[in-house]
Amino acid sequence: MTPPIIKAMSDIATRLTVSPAPHWRCGRTLHAMMRAHLAALLPALLAGVYMFGLPAAATVGVAGSVAVLTEVLCLRMQGRDVDVDNFTALYAGILFAFLLPATAPWWVAAAGAVVTIVLGRTVFGGFGCNPVCAPLVAWAFCRMSWPAAMDIDLNLAHFMSNDPVYQLQRFGVEALSQFDYVDLLLGRQLGGLGASQVAALLVGGGFLLITKWIRWYIPVSFVLGVSAVSTLFWFIDPGTYAPPLFHLLAGSTVFGALFLATDTASSPVGKLPQFLFGLIAGSLVVIIRVYGAFPDGVPFAIMLTNLLSPLLDRVRPKPFGGK
Amino acid sequence: MLRIHYSLESQLKDGIADIAAPEELSIQVRNLVLKTAKRKKVGFGSTIAEHPSQSGGAFHAAASGTVRDLDYHHLVIACGEGGDDAEPVNVASLQPGRELLRTLQELGIDIAVLSSRAETLVINGMNPEPGVSVAEQMLADEMENLEAGLDVACALIEPQRTILAVADASEYRLPGTTPQSIKAKYPNSLDALVVKAVTGEEFPSNAKIMSVMDLYALGRVVRTGLPVTETVMTIEGRNYRVPIGTPIRHLLSCLGIKAASGDTVVLGGSFRGEAVYSLDEGVRKGDYGMFVISSDAFPHVQDVSCINCGECVLNCPGRIQPNLISRYAEYEMFEMAEKHGLHSCFECGLCAFSCTMRRPLLQYIRFAKDQLRAAGRSEQA
Ligand code: SF4
Ligand code: SF4
Repeated sequence: MTPPIIKAMSDIATRLTVSPAPHWRCGRTLHAMMRAHLAALLPALLAGVYMFGLPAAATVGVAGSVAVLTEVLCLRMQGRDVDVDNFTALYAGILFAFLLPATAPWWVAAAGAVVTIVLGRTVFGGFGCNPVCAPLVAWAFCRMSWPAAMDIDLNLAHFMSNDPVYQLQRFGVEALSQFDYVDLLLGRQLGGLGASQVAALLVGGGFLLITKWIRWYIPVSFVLGVSAVSTLFWFIDPGTYAPPLFHLLAGSTVFGALFLATDTASSPVGKLPQFLFGLIAGSLVVIIRVYGAFPDGVPFAIMLTNLLSPLLDRVRPKPFGGK
Repeated sequence: MLRIHYSLESQLKDGIADIAAPEELSIQVRNLVLKTAKRKKVGFGSTIAEHPSQSGGAFHAAASGTVRDLDYHHLVIACGEGGDDAEPVNVASLQPGRELLRTLQELGIDIAVLSSRAETLVINGMNPEPGVSVAEQMLADEMENLEAGLDVACALIEPQRTILAVADASEYRLPGTTPQSIKAKYPNSLDALVVKAVTGEEFPSNAKIMSVMDLYALGRVVRTGLPVTETVMTIEGRNYRVPIGTPIRHLLSCLGIKAASGDTVVLGGSFRGEAVYSLDEGVRKGDYGMFVISSDAFPHVQDVSCINCGECVLNCPGRIQPNLISRYAEYEMFEMAEKHGLHSCFECGLCAFSCTMRRPLLQYIRFAKDQLRAAGRSEQA
């Protein structure tokens, strides 16, 4: 049968837009989302530069721009539209840089940015399809390949202070007396150049929470997980295990809770799954710090939990009226 | 960022206004059984088409005139000198039963909900969507028709209890029903959620729901004996009585509203309504609102992949995963969509409303439902 042809009705002076319902939209766009996320990173970036000096800015600059260029190349090679103006690549590059020591060699920053885009995103189909938080893939890659270049204490040896999580791992709880919690909170600690700026990260993350660009389920349950497990250990033996507040303020716990674990593509979608996800990742942070080979458990904890996301997404309520 | 309120509250200032009679009526007749032909004269209230289903109401001319144009999609009546007007039917004299139902159907009422009994009858008195205030307008101004409609509905359905669901702050009552207040926020006005709020059960088998608009149409048919030829709709905050088939162009010019190229004109609500492609399109039975949305008001829908942000899932009152289901629909895996709760979706539109990537989620869901329906039909045939 030939399908009937609907002739355009008489008037074409006013050509209306025909689009599917709903005709109102909340106004969220990827572009706005990324702008908000970048703005949220700004306080920590400034605080990082204040703390570590211009090398921090240079490292972020290298990682960010290499990430964008790599994305352009990848999209070109795939014959896709080049849409780097949505800032997702820039954001991923900066997230990666935040985990680096401020004085990391420029080529580590560049190589990491390439890995973030190529291994972290492109091979899985691009932004939004990555099963594991992309900057973490690069972090793990660099950490394995160039342990010395990635070592915080080694790189920042000219600073008077120490890397708290490293001290804990090497020298135990007694070594922690050198740290003051207010210092840790204000970012006067060694760590990833942005990841250790706890107060500034809280400001940025708070902004994202208030503007609802991220929901509270993951950050809150992540912090809960860290607190619960560290309290448990601390209860067992305060002489061997660090107090919960230390775990929350040291290393990249806050950065992980607010910026890495909340990565949209690699975290679950439902309310309960998101809550469980945060809880598991947070607990793993402490477990890795206590038993693992890496001082700051955050990157591996989140990567591991990312792999559980599809499973966690199965924890869902029964559909309306469902059996 | 543009903020939308989901409030269903309305401030009614005036009664229902009339619209000047249009020169032409344009009626969608796609998939209907035609009862007239080109160049025939039709009278006011004469049957022009029947619904192919067993319970759908018939369609009638809202004015007398001549059928000027007819294709498989549209029927256009040039108003003016026409055939004989329909005689009123004495509906009130009929006893509840087969004949009454058939008469109602012939007069344009969909009798699906009326043709069997139920323990609970819920009258949905909530405004259906933000920006539409028809329901409360009827509760305020059309009590006689509502009561007449309720009488017939109760006679046919024989419910043990009849409940009127109203917005929490509203004072509207309907004699013969027990009021129950519901928070005036979309999507609480959707039938499935109203029934849940009233009975505590999800999709219960022993409850039925009718909107006050249904009740009004029923009451009017019973009281006048004339078929359904008009709908009441909200346009820019006011309610109008509009003959079915009135071209949108006519409404716009009567009310001094402008629609420019690129704008979207929606019949129905802004969450669930349908965008028309031409201003010559006519108003349909059951259209309770009209919206002109300018082209730059909202970011446009785009065909991109999902980023798993979860906003659609967190906003879905049907507790399903629109991100997943829409992907199944996209790749034509309709059975999988069904398995993951497709039929728990009541098409509220909130998922697509809140999607960061602006994916046409509701479109995909409706597509999957349609495909499954079509597959079901071909299996039966
Ligand atoms: S339209 Fe979307 S949000 Fe609404 S019930 Fe269906 S899937 Fe859920
Ligand atoms: S809101 Fe859109 S982008 Fe986000 S998970 Fe749902 S479908 Fe995907």
